[in-house]
Amino acid sequence: MASYSSRVRADSARWVASGLIDRNTAEAIVRDVEEHDRRSLSFGSILAIMAALLLAAAILVFVASNWETIPRLARVGGLFAIIFAGYVGGAVLKLNEHGAIGEAVWLVAAAAFGGAIALIGQMYHLSGDETQAVLTWCAGTAVAAAALRSGPLTMAAVGLAVAWLFLREAEFWRSSDFPHAFIGLAAVLWLVSYWTESAASRHLILLSLVFYAVLLAIEYDEPVGVGAGLAAIFAALFALAVVLPEQAERIVRLNGLLPVHGLIGFLVGVIVIQLETAGDSGPAFAIAAVAALAGIVAAVVLAGRASRGLRWIAYIGFAIELCMIYVVMIQDMLGTAGFFLAAGVILGLLAFAIIRIEKRLKEPRLPEGAAA
Amino acid sequence: MSGRRLVLAAVLLALAQIAFLTWIIAGRAAILRNGQEVLLKVEPVDPRDLLRGDYVWLGYEIRNVPVKLVANAPAGEFMPEAGPIFVRLGRDADGYWRPRSASLRVAEGQPPAGEIDLRGTVSSAWRLGPEDSFAVSYGIERFYVPEGEGRAIEADMRERPFAILAAVAGDGSAQIKALMDGETRLYKEPLY
Repeated sequence: MASYSSRVRADSARWVASGLIDRNTAEAIVRDVEEHDRRSLSFGSILAIMAALLLAAAILVFVASNWETIPRLARVGGLFAIIFAGYVGGAVLKLNEHGAIGEAVWLVAAAAFGGAIALIGQMYHLSGDETQAVLTWCAGTAVAAAALRSGPLTMAAVGLAVAWLFLREAEFWRSSDFPHAFIGLAAVLWLVSYWTESAASRHLILLSLVFYAVLLAIEYDEPVGVGAGLAAIFAALFALAVVLPEQAERIVRLNGLLPVHGLIGFLVGVIVIQLETAGDSGPAFAIAAVAALAGIVAAVVLAGRASRGLRWIAYIGFAIELCMIYVVMIQDMLGTAGFFLAAGVILGLLAFAIIRIEKRLKEPRLPEGAAA
Repeated sequence: MSGRRLVLAAVLLALAQIAFLTWIIAGRAAILRNGQEVLLKVEPVDPRDLLRGDYVWLGYEIRNVPVKLVANAPAGEFMPEAGPIFVRLGRDADGYWRPRSASLRVAEGQPPAGEIDLRGTVSSAWRLGPEDSFAVSYGIERFYVPEGEGRAIEADMRERPFAILAAVAGDGSAQIKALMDGETRLYKEPLY
């Protein structure tokens, strides 16, 4: 964020004036922040990426329109030219201090690669392998990301992998098995993301693995087993992140957000179990509900102070959990009015609790032993 | 990454991707050029779903392959496994090619003269008995047309017989050569 460096500049000037730090330190801090700022997204680079996505969409829709005025060999040649000019031109732009534009141009080139695959499918009337086409596109984009060390291209490859997973599952007349290969794909992209230094890609991969698990539960009609496995794995990730924060961060490099993913995966797993067991007479639903609430409380206690994101996931999870428990256990006895009344009271209490927790966490932590 | 290496990487990447795409085109064109020609009868499928976007959905007569024709099909009732099937086609008196026999997973030897193996994919939709048919797709179920021209073909297809002239390569993969309205070629497919 561009505003962060200007804020630091203002703050450090104030700290120098009040004698907190000396001028050299202030300059060093500002320089450090500015250097690291360049790596984060600025307003301009977001616009550049959006422009690239629009151009990408234009290429794909143009191919789909199958416009006959331009002979198809010319269309193929045009796409080849965009691929070449995009990758090479992007590299040149990047070397001339236009990093954001360069990345955006690379995205256009990757889109042209996907458009060319679609055009070939259209030229030769290939049917039934859209998923194969998306997978090829994903592989080509991943190779491009690795070759050019590009974070946005890594993100695009992960996005295409997720699209592939979704398309494979959404195919109506499916003649193929469940796409277990997604795990391998995610692993490869995870490794690529280290090389391209794209923490955002790793976030997206973790979320997509949760999505994969949900699809797995639906596919095999085994929500309890898959949900329990998902919850256990992500609870273990959470525990790892809390017990060995530095080591875990050194491995996953998620800017300290591994606990957030741990909580998301855990909650999704438990909710999958609850949706399945909601109508059952057995104790499974209650056990899952207790586990969810205990997990949320534990997460806030263990990692809530360090991460605002985790607290918000915890609040959202808590609200969903309350609603589910209410709908399943009490709704039968009370009427709709009772539901609204209770929901209002619950939300009020929730708001009260959130405000209290946020306030307490904002207060500076007392030094160890000072509280005694 | 140093400047020259980045540009070099970009050039190599672009060339590799273009080469890959060219390779696919060349493979498809080779089937068109060298493949055995077969004429396949097309039947209109569910009319509501005949045309999706800019392509015509082709329901081949040979999309149903009777279990009886498949030598290595399981006996009794079974759940078909999704996977490849090789359908041996022969030319009938009316000019259309129809299944003579079929084999799951692998082709059974070389087809005799005048017959050809077409590679398809079995979908595992429902249980099959000895009197049922495998649902087979051949990867040529779509015919892309310029935007807006599909509706007319869709309407005509329900009135008179249409056919697809396909080229089949030695490994059984098929490639559409032309969409036939009776004896007329509606669209002629260039190699490239």
